[in-house]
Amino acid sequence: MAKTTHFGYKEVGVDDKQGLVREVFDSVATNYDLMNDVLSMGAHRLWKRYTIASSNVKEGDRILDIAGGTGDLALKFREKVGDSGQVILTDINGAMLEEGRKSLIDRGVFDVEFVQANAERLPFEDNSFDCVSIAFGLRNVTDKEAAIRQMFRVLKKGGCLLILEFSKVENEMLEKFYDFYSFNVMPKLGGLLADDEQSYQYLAESIRKHPDQEALKTMVIDAGFDLCEYQNLSGGIVALHKAIKA
Amino acid sequence: MLRLSLEKALNRLIESSGIDIETLEGKKINLELSELNLALVFVCTNSRIFVIDSREVKNVDVDIKLNKDAFLSLLGGTSLDELLDNEEVVINGNVKVAKKLSEMLALSSQDIEEIISHYTCDIVAHQIGKAISLAKDKIANNTTNPIEAIKDEVSTILIAPSRSHFFSNKTS
Repeated sequence: MAKTTHFGYKEVGVDDKQGLVREVFDSVATNYDLMNDVLSMGAHRLWKRYTIASSNVKEGDRILDIAGGTGDLALKFREKVGDSGQVILTDINGAMLEEGRKSLIDRGVFDVEFVQANAERLPFEDNSFDCVSIAFGLRNVTDKEAAIRQMFRVLKKGGCLLILEFSKVENEMLEKFYDFYSFNVMPKLGGLLADDEQSYQYLAESIRKHPDQEALKTMVIDAGFDLCEYQNLSGGIVALHKAIKA
Repeated sequence: MLRLSLEKALNRLIESSGIDIETLEGKKINLELSELNLALVFVCTNSRIFVIDSREVKNVDVDIKLNKDAFLSLLGGTSLDELLDNEEVVINGNVKVAKKLSEMLALSSQDIEEIISHYTCDIVAHQIGKAISLAKDKIANNTTNPIEAIKDEVSTILIAPSRSHFFSNKTS
């Protein structure tokens, strides 16, 4: 019997998930930034700002931003590493990568490198980055353990991993509101603004299927990281896991 | 917030002043202020310092324990040797490493407002600096947990400025 995994609440073949996720992101790519702003009420910008502030990145560093989408983090990293550093943005999805490239060029940034790559098989040398980040991308990866092991592999000794991802809400009242919003409002807004209710239904479901804070922390430690801590943001709607390779 | 600010301050200090942290490379230093329920681990690696919650770190190379008065003296520039002589601090592990970190903490404390302002470039940085000064005053006056005091003051400024001691002091 073929191995299965989850795609939102559906069970699908492991080999099929990547294609299904690609269809979702092909569909949402052109409206990605607008929808992020609308659906998170702008909070995604604060979460990303906090991630950058936590990165401990300095001038001259080499940064890998996985599933970098439209380049929000890459842009900020570029400012921090300066001309002597390097930022590489990867995404498995060609349409998202193209949106990222356009977005950065529009903002006058020409020296971020773009690489289409699967997070489970990163085409980079061992011990080659000071910081690896993945923001709102890990939950879409089929084999998350393999992806985190790859992140560990490409990080230098002392390098820092940052995983920004939707997580488990801490407060019961907030959770009730968040559930209602996710399953009733978000897909409708997706339908209304991006003509794509289904993709936003997947978004809500994929968040619920993603490992919670402690489970993800265990995955990170199991991948070989010396230490990992997480910070809940907006009551746990999002969590930032920060790990260091000893 | 405090760990992040401290981490930023120390790394800013390393970058701006070119302090050589070779002595600290690869070291994990636990700093515990027992009576204040504060324990931080400074992880020094890849030519920078990470400030981590001590619960997340199992093995440390150096363990520094001191009380709040000694900590304030340290931030105020009192040397670690003097504190050791007066038995106000307990160090397990390499004293040279502990000294290097304490020197950096003292330097960061003196410049914390300016260092934070380099990152935020706005009035909030100034207010954070004031809040830290106010919190330090509170500690000196033997009040509550200083970290909570700093957190409370900064949170108040950001969320409800009118309730802040900083503004009430200014208006009174």
